[in-house]
Amino acid sequence: MTAAHGQPTRSVLACGEVRTCLLPSLPALDGRAATQLLRLRADEHVRVSERPTMYALSPETLTGVDCRLPTSNGTKVRGVGTVVSRAALTEGRLLQSTAYFSVPAAGPDLRRPWGQYLVRPGLVEPFGKLPQQAAAEGALRGAERGELDLGMIAESLLAQLRRHALLDRRVPFKSSPTRLRWVARRIPAGERASLANFTLTEGGLRTMELRLPQDVPVAAAAGLCEDLALHDWLLTTVQHMLDNSRIGAIDGPSVVEALHPVVVHLLHLWMPRAHVDPALGHLWDVLEQKPGFSRQWENLSRRIRDRLALQAVAMPNQALSTR
Amino acid sequence: MSEAVFQETTAEPRTQSVPLAHLSLELGHLYMEDFEAGPGRLREHFAEVRIWVDAARASVARRGKRPRISTCFLIDDYFSRFSTPAELIPMVLKEAEKAGLVIDYLARESACAVADRVELAESVMHRLVESPPPGSYGSRPSVSQTGWLANGQRTPTASRSALGQVKGWEPPRETAARNHSVFMDVELWSEKDGRRLWSCPFLAAVWQLARLGLLRHLGEPVLVPADWNGGDFPQDWDRLPPLTRLTGSAAAPFSAYRTCTLMPNRFLAVEDAVRLILDQTDVDAGALRQVAERSAREGMAVPAAVAQRATYVFYEEPGDSFEAEGA
Repeated sequence: MTAAHGQPTRSVLACGEVRTCLLPSLPALDGRAATQLLRLRADEHVRVSERPTMYALSPETLTGVDCRLPTSNGTKVRGVGTVVSRAALTEGRLLQSTAYFSVPAAGPDLRRPWGQYLVRPGLVEPFGKLPQQAAAEGALRGAERGELDLGMIAESLLAQLRRHALLDRRVPFKSSPTRLRWVARRIPAGERASLANFTLTEGGLRTMELRLPQDVPVAAAAGLCEDLALHDWLLTTVQHMLDNSRIGAIDGPSVVEALHPVVVHLLHLWMPRAHVDPALGHLWDVLEQKPGFSRQWENLSRRIRDRLALQAVAMPNQALSTR
Repeated sequence: MSEAVFQETTAEPRTQSVPLAHLSLELGHLYMEDFEAGPGRLREHFAEVRIWVDAARASVARRGKRPRISTCFLIDDYFSRFSTPAELIPMVLKEAEKAGLVIDYLARESACAVADRVELAESVMHRLVESPPPGSYGSRPSVSQTGWLANGQRTPTASRSALGQVKGWEPPRETAARNHSVFMDVELWSEKDGRRLWSCPFLAAVWQLARLGLLRHLGEPVLVPADWNGGDFPQDWDRLPPLTRLTGSAAAPFSAYRTCTLMPNRFLAVEDAVRLILDQTDVDAGALRQVAERSAREGMAVPAAVAQRATYVFYEEPGDSFEAEGA
């Protein structure tokens, strides 16, 4: 029971899932409204940052769990503890929710009194020894029936926010939500954090593996993953809109019609690592080199601007009068 | 790493710390029926309590050299309104003094629901994190819908099997049971005419958290004591501050690392329910850290779990002795 007496329990692995979607509201929310939306607890601050982009982060809430942890090889490991969930809103337009927890290498074979879990929020203790590799792979694969389901926890927070009375539940354009599952293996304090893997799979699912020094809080990793998920959503969504607008095939006002929401609602949202912990900012560099997130975004933006410029040259009066 | 030049205060909220004593000692909790029983009942109460106060002081002295102990007294103005502060408080103080006791802080029970326009009970309700029975994999907590909090799984509601037979009774189950269950289900509030009435155990749990220095509102302390100027007490309970400091700056701080509550044994079930609630409350992380660090620095580290920081003495109710009829 020594771990119960105040010392922070050292975790070896952290797992999380981020869901990213367009806020169901025609107008973007301002700082005040964002604060109201994300006030999950009346007595705790919503963190609001206005530079370089308007970003609001909810207080963290906990969900108690006592169930099997997902493992890739079928090993049965019971875990007990709490999962953290939180939500973020960027520029009053993009809504994200994250659920995450950390796991130590081993835990007692007995369930502790619940109050002892609550004083270590976000920690899920395994019964016995954690099969680290299988648990990391299992977390990326996702939960099977009866296993700890981060996606469900993140989704239920998102669903709760989408029902908020502040929102008119209408969207300015169609888009699909994305999911990003991540695991972070702990490495000794002082070492440099690194990104081991970022994979796009079908159905809007992305997976990511990182190495996180012991002295960097898991919330910072969650923040990095939210930032990557947000920019990945932007790329995915704008690419999809360009594909659908058949940019080469159609002319006239319909092109303007199709690309208008991108210009109005999305182009200004690209702001990598704006709210990422400085200890993890360099992980972006890897993705900037290959595949080149910002390069792709610049390319997409240029195509849109060029297309609209051409349109303006071709039909100056019409284009202006229809807008 | 150098400190960032650009900062936004709204992006980095802080939890303010509060002064902390070693022990918050509650000398009593006055309900209307106690008041109606007259000053004799209070006298009996304080005479009995005096013995345990000495014991509690001795217990703190064992842990540290210069114990900081504050005493408090709670008056119910939430479930029933009786008398006036002007009439009642001087009587309480007088009877306490006769027993050689000093009351440092006086609180109104309604302050545990709302104090200085901050909805304390509501905030604590949002912090409940239910203890998950085995098999819980992330389904939504339901306490805010049901208004009940249990220490395990309830008896399933009568359901029919596929063949339409009513299944037999199934017992409830305490999650932390050792061999056998002691199942408890606590009502946190009731609704009447659209108004929410918090239950006595729930307000008492808020009261314990306040005494343990674990409540904040947007990072700021709550239930900050107002000093009594030595004059008359008001005629109306609403005009009495939620928490009054009676003994000025000589008093040890209201909140403390640990609490000890002295009460008649009829409150045992209520306080067991309080422990159940505390055991499922996710308190402000900043406040929790401050208490842990400071108590450890003073060599009197608090138990990790919040519910373990509260102790009690349950004594025999005065005037409750059995007297044969006609005697």
